[in-house]
Amino acid sequence: MVEFPRLTYERLQVGEEFVSDTFLVTPEEIETYAFAVDDHHPWFVDDSPFGGPVAHPTLLGNQALRLRHSRYTVAGGLHAKMEFEFVEPIRPGMRARSRGRVVDKYERRGKPYMVTEFTTEDEAGTVLVRGRFTQMLFRD
Amino acid sequence: MSTPTTASVGIGQELPPLVKNIPQRKIDAYSGVRPNYIHSDEAFARKKGFRAPLAQAMMSTAYVSEMMTRFVGAGFVKGGALSMTFIKPVLAGDRLTVRGVVKEQRPEGGRTRVVVEVWCENQDGVTTAVGTASGLVD
Repeated sequence: MVEFPRLTYERLQVGEEFVSDTFLVTPEEIETYAFAVDDHHPWFVDDSPFGGPVAHPTLLGNQALRLRHSRYTVAGGLHAKMEFEFVEPIRPGMRARSRGRVVDKYERRGKPYMVTEFTTEDEAGTVLVRGRFTQMLFRD
Repeated sequence: MSTPTTASVGIGQELPPLVKNIPQRKIDAYSGVRPNYIHSDEAFARKKGFRAPLAQAMMSTAYVSEMMTRFVGAGFVKGGALSMTFIKPVLAGDRLTVRGVVKEQRPEGGRTRVVVEVWCENQDGVTTAVGTASGLVD
């Protein structure tokens, strides 16, 4: 069982690791994402240069961004920076999982920040996306 | 859709801009809806000092991703990268214009990495996010 304590700057440890649940990439998820960002590129539903449809490269960004929710209750915060490397196309039918590690935390202008490095992989362990993001934490 | 080549891309070239309207409905589809959530709870957003719920900053990365996929094609979907800093909030109801200018080309593994300076501006001309994005061309 996960206990979900409140995430605080003091509780967060540099070096702490997170693992998401797996996420099945379905055509409906791709369609929902296309609607949300108004990007209806034909490769998302028809053939692509990779053979068959692919998903939007940033489809799984929120799986990574929400890694801390796998262990904590989070009061929210603001997303300050995002880095992505798109290593392999995301395809419908994949079961994807993100893993992250807190690599830094710091305070700037009185506000607490955390920095996480992540990889998102398919079920075979092939890296699809990797990157790094910085999040500001609300104190309450 | 034509894919650019090293010969067809020049330093200083402007990418065709994208314009994105961001109603609450799109934010809801992107981020989900729950109470005490800055992306969907207007009262909570006001409590945090914003006049409306915020669009997730990640949505701006998706817009840049769209612009880059349209520009370099498959070499962004596999081999692309982006790095963005979010400097101003994007609110429900905003309209963003996403822009890019080619700033560098460098060889990489027998191909060429095209590096683009990217940014987003809201309807008032305020820059909300800045960064770089890149993809591979032949």
